[in-house]
Amino acid sequence: MSSASRTRILLAAQANKPAETLLPTVPDFGGEATAERFSAVLAGIGGTVVWLDGLGQLGSTLQQLFPEARNTASPLFAGTVPVDAGTPTEVLADIDLAVLTGEIGVAENGAIWLPEANMLHRALPTITQHLALVLDHRRIVATMHQAYAQLPGTGGYGTFVAGPSKTADIEQSLVIGAHGARSLVVLLY
Amino acid sequence: MSHALRADQFLLDADRTTWHDETLWFVREKRDRAVYAVPEFQALRELASQIKDHTLSRLDRYLQEFEAAAQANGVHVHWAADAAEHNAIILAIIRQQGATRIVKSKSMLTEECHLNPYLLQHGIEVVDTDLGERIIQFREEAPSHIVLPAIHLKKEDVGDTFHLHLGTEKGESDPQRLTEAARQHLRAKFLAGQVAISGVNFAVAETGGVVVCTNEGNADLGVNLAQVHIACMGIEKLIPRLTDLGVFTRLLARSATGQPVTTYTSHFTQPVAGKEMHVVIVDNGRTQQLGRPDFRASLKCIRCGACMNTCPVYRRSGGHSYDFTVPGPIGAILSPNIDMKKHASLPFASTLCGSCTDVCPVKIDIHTQLYKWRQVLGEANEIPASKKWSMKFMGRLLASARVYGLSGQFARKALRFLPHGLTHAASFNAWAVARELPEPPQQSFREWYQQQPKPVPQPPQPQVPA
Ligand code: SF4
Repeated sequence: MSSASRTRILLAAQANKPAETLLPTVPDFGGEATAERFSAVLAGIGGTVVWLDGLGQLGSTLQQLFPEARNTASPLFAGTVPVDAGTPTEVLADIDLAVLTGEIGVAENGAIWLPEANMLHRALPTITQHLALVLDHRRIVATMHQAYAQLPGTGGYGTFVAGPSKTADIEQSLVIGAHGARSLVVLLY
Repeated sequence: MSHALRADQFLLDADRTTWHDETLWFVREKRDRAVYAVPEFQALRELASQIKDHTLSRLDRYLQEFEAAAQANGVHVHWAADAAEHNAIILAIIRQQGATRIVKSKSMLTEECHLNPYLLQHGIEVVDTDLGERIIQFREEAPSHIVLPAIHLKKEDVGDTFHLHLGTEKGESDPQRLTEAARQHLRAKFLAGQVAISGVNFAVAETGGVVVCTNEGNADLGVNLAQVHIACMGIEKLIPRLTDLGVFTRLLARSATGQPVTTYTSHFTQPVAGKEMHVVIVDNGRTQQLGRPDFRASLKCIRCGACMNTCPVYRRSGGHSYDFTVPGPIGAILSPNIDMKKHASLPFASTLCGSCTDVCPVKIDIHTQLYKWRQVLGEANEIPASKKWSMKFMGRLLASARVYGLSGQFARKALRFLPHGLTHAASFNAWAVARELPEPPQQSFREWYQQQPKPVPQPPQPQVPA
């Protein structure tokens, strides 16, 4: 039945579509590509920025920020839980802290591009209780236009993460920590 | 039942109506602040509008381009002409998996197709994982807004519902604690989910991938833990290029809730090895709407909800008064395409103030289409006789200066002598239900003007430059 419907839909779309119009070119609108702007916007949506004096400081900074994290997963240091694409759900569900590398930061909205290749497991960034993303401050761009222009592709899966998981579904009261990570720290270096 | 009658129900609780009105206006104000902070916002709206116009003008080709790219990524692509076929396809995929535990993130399309009740009839229960949708699912209600599905409820209502279904303490109404209870409850569902159903915000023809935007992370968590992902999309969700997302992601959340972007903007392109991804492409009346030149622009909608938040009628009548999956101004132009008779009153649920058109991020001429639907409905005899005849009568009256003058004279006299109970009778003067007629003046402007001394014509004076 599906293929008859395919034909029907395509023929109807062809018959009913309007005269062809041009696809516009989207300009680069410029904008402010600074760590200051990125940090201010991220703070406004519930995230935190912490500066590292280089990646060597990662371990000690995480110790300070998350003294209670028992189960940690990261490709950047030896976490307590090794995670890969085949890690079972029950194991993932107990992770307190995931520390992953972000690729591009977007100053206008605080979003960070996180491709599948940096996630260990696709569910890790949302199933972990807390998420820390390490980002090179030179990879901050001004807008989403510039971010997409820099993406080589989106891979099998990838997401722009902007702050911790949140909801305002009860009377428009903002609550941080809906289903995904309860907090987001961005470690800039 | 007409929109007006259903709105009457909503209006019975005056305090709640005021609260609803103010809450949505608050969202509109947040939208304004976010929008004014982007200097090129108007240019982005124009670009978005042009990209969508262009996509519709090549829709058949982009659909095929998308299909080919998705298949090359290992994604199963299905086509559904209507809601019944959409539902049957999903049931077949679930059965093939032998799955019983289904999680679903927000998708207005599955609401439109009434997927949940259909699956339930076939013994399969779906858990809605968006917090607002879970609340109304417990209450067996329909969403009253496309972005804020439970916006008609107060926190005490949610507290009662969670007490009943999740065992939270009686009288608990703290949003933080209620959300935490839902988090724990839904986490168990995510961990056990076998099939995850999601909607689609954008489908990129170039990459064959779909983009899903959420704040809660429920789509990502559900999809990435399940064995099978089924993404459901209307044919109008397509955009040509990956870089077009730069335009749409800058518009969507700012227009919807005033956020700079949604927390998660997720690109699902290929399944993980050993897992499955399906995309169901649905028509369900959309190609028909594409063939209506006056109304096809409604297919550009990106479902941000801004037209609802700003609409003075929506804010004071509630989403349920529209009795259609998509309420508000955009719902009122989409619904008559689906069932003209049933939804005949919706294009009249508007003051035609045009605020919807002003805020729409893809520049749909919403209020013009509302006006045009009224003409179509009139031609098709789908407006109530009382409205039709009174409109005809007023049309005649206003077309003739003499009849207008006479009836004005008559009305000014009559209003002074007729009893209030008669001039304001709700049975034939709906306008006066909540309003007072003004004090009738002694004379009309025309009568007054004729009594004034005629001005003596002056010869034109040469203009002296200052
Ligand atoms: S019609 Fe425009 S304003 Fe209304 S929901 Fe659609 S995109 Fe948003």
